[in-house]
Amino acid sequence: MKALVLDGSREGDLLTPVAVRGVVSALAGRAVDVRHVALRELAISPCAGCFGCWTRTPGECVIEDAASDVLRSYVGSDVVVYATPVTFGGYSSELKKMLDRFIPVLDPRFTTVGGEVHHLLRYRRYPKTIGLGTLPFPDPEAERLFAGLVARNGLNIHQTVESTVLVGVADAEPARRSAERLLDRAGVTR
Amino acid sequence: MNALILTGSPKGRKSASFTLASKLAEGLRKNGASVCEEPVHAGLRTDEGTRRLLEAVDASDLVVPVFPLYVDSLPAPLTRLLELVAGRRAGVASESNPRLAVIVQCGFPEAHQCDTAVGICRLFAERTGMRWAGALAMGMGGSVGEDIRRLPGGGKHVIRALDMTAESLAKDGDVPAEAATLFARPLMPRWLYNLFGNLGWRMQMRKHGTRRPIAYRPYSQE
Repeated sequence: MKALVLDGSREGDLLTPVAVRGVVSALAGRAVDVRHVALRELAISPCAGCFGCWTRTPGECVIEDAASDVLRSYVGSDVVVYATPVTFGGYSSELKKMLDRFIPVLDPRFTTVGGEVHHLLRYRRYPKTIGLGTLPFPDPEAERLFAGLVARNGLNIHQTVESTVLVGVADAEPARRSAERLLDRAGVTR
Repeated sequence: MNALILTGSPKGRKSASFTLASKLAEGLRKNGASVCEEPVHAGLRTDEGTRRLLEAVDASDLVVPVFPLYVDSLPAPLTRLLELVAGRRAGVASESNPRLAVIVQCGFPEAHQCDTAVGICRLFAERTGMRWAGALAMGMGGSVGEDIRRLPGGGKHVIRALDMTAESLAKDGDVPAEAATLFARPLMPRWLYNLFGNLGWRMQMRKHGTRRPIAYRPYSQE
C-alpha cells in the first residue's frame, strides 16, 4: 500500500510539521510505503485556468513543473493526506497551489453526485483522501469550515472522506495517536 | 470612498471574474466611489506587485475579491494574498477597518457550491478586523464570458444584482439579500447547462486538434 502526504506547512509553522511526523509514523506502522512531499520546497506554478489539461492534453497539465510528478504519485497512491494549517477554515496557499493543479485527474464532462453536478472520474480508482488540519487554538468555526471543505473535495472524486484538526498539538506522540484514530476512521487497515 | 476590486482569476481580462468585476466597478464609480482594480495572480508574481497589492488593501475602505471557485475554495494566489494581508494586519496595529465583500462564480450549476469559499472569506474578515459586507455567489459561471449582456435573457438579473450591490456598497451598506438571490438564480435549466458544457469540451478539443481521447489516462497503473 502506498501513501502520499501532501505537506502544506508554511515557513515558520510549528504545528503542521508535528502533525505530518505523526501521520507519517502512523502510516509507516501500517506497513505503508509513505511519500512525504513538502510543497513549500517545490516550485509549483498556480493553475492558469486554461483547461488545457482537459482539451489540449487530456489528463496532463500543460505547465511543466514539479506538479506533474506529484500528480503521478497521487494517482498511484492508495491513501493521500492533505496536511495543512487551517487557514480561515481552508487550506494553506502551499497546499492549495497543488490542489488547484489536481483537475487533470478528472474528466471534464459533467455527472451528478449527491444531487449536485460534478465531473466524471478519469481513473477507475482514486486514493482514499484524508484531511489533517492544525490550529494553535480552538476555533469551532474554522474547524467546521475545514471539515466541510474536505468533504466537498471528496465529492469531486465521488468519495466520502475523513478529516480532523489537531488543536495546539506540539508533540509527535499525541499527533501520532490522533493520526492513528483518523486512519482507523478512514478505514486504512493495520 | 476608496474601493479595491481584486480579480482572482488567472485569465485576467478574458475571465468571467473580470467581466463581473468590471460591471461592479462601473456601478461603484457611478455611485461616487473611487475604484482601483488589481489582478491578484499577476500582482503576486513580483515583490513590487505584492507590495502594491498590500498597500492598496491598506488604502481601501472597501475590498472586493471577485474570483472563480477553484476546488471548492479560493484560487491559491488569492489564498496567499489573504495570508499576507492577515500577517500584515496582525504585525502592525492597523488603523484602517475596511469592509470586505466577495463575488464568487462557480463552473457547476449550483450557486451553493460556493458556500465554503464565502465562509472562508467571511472568517478571514472577522479574524483580521475587517467588516464583513456579504457575498454574491453564482453557478454556471462558465457561461458568463466577456459580456454579461450575451447571457440568456440579456443577463438582466446578473446586471441588476451587481447594480444593486454597487449602490449599497458605495453607501456604506452591505450586499443586499435581494441581490444575492438574483445573482444566484440559475441562468438556464441545469440539464441545458450540462449539455452545453459537455458539447463545449468536445468543441474545444476539435479546435485545438487534440488527438488524445477526452478520457485518456496518462498516469494509469492498469
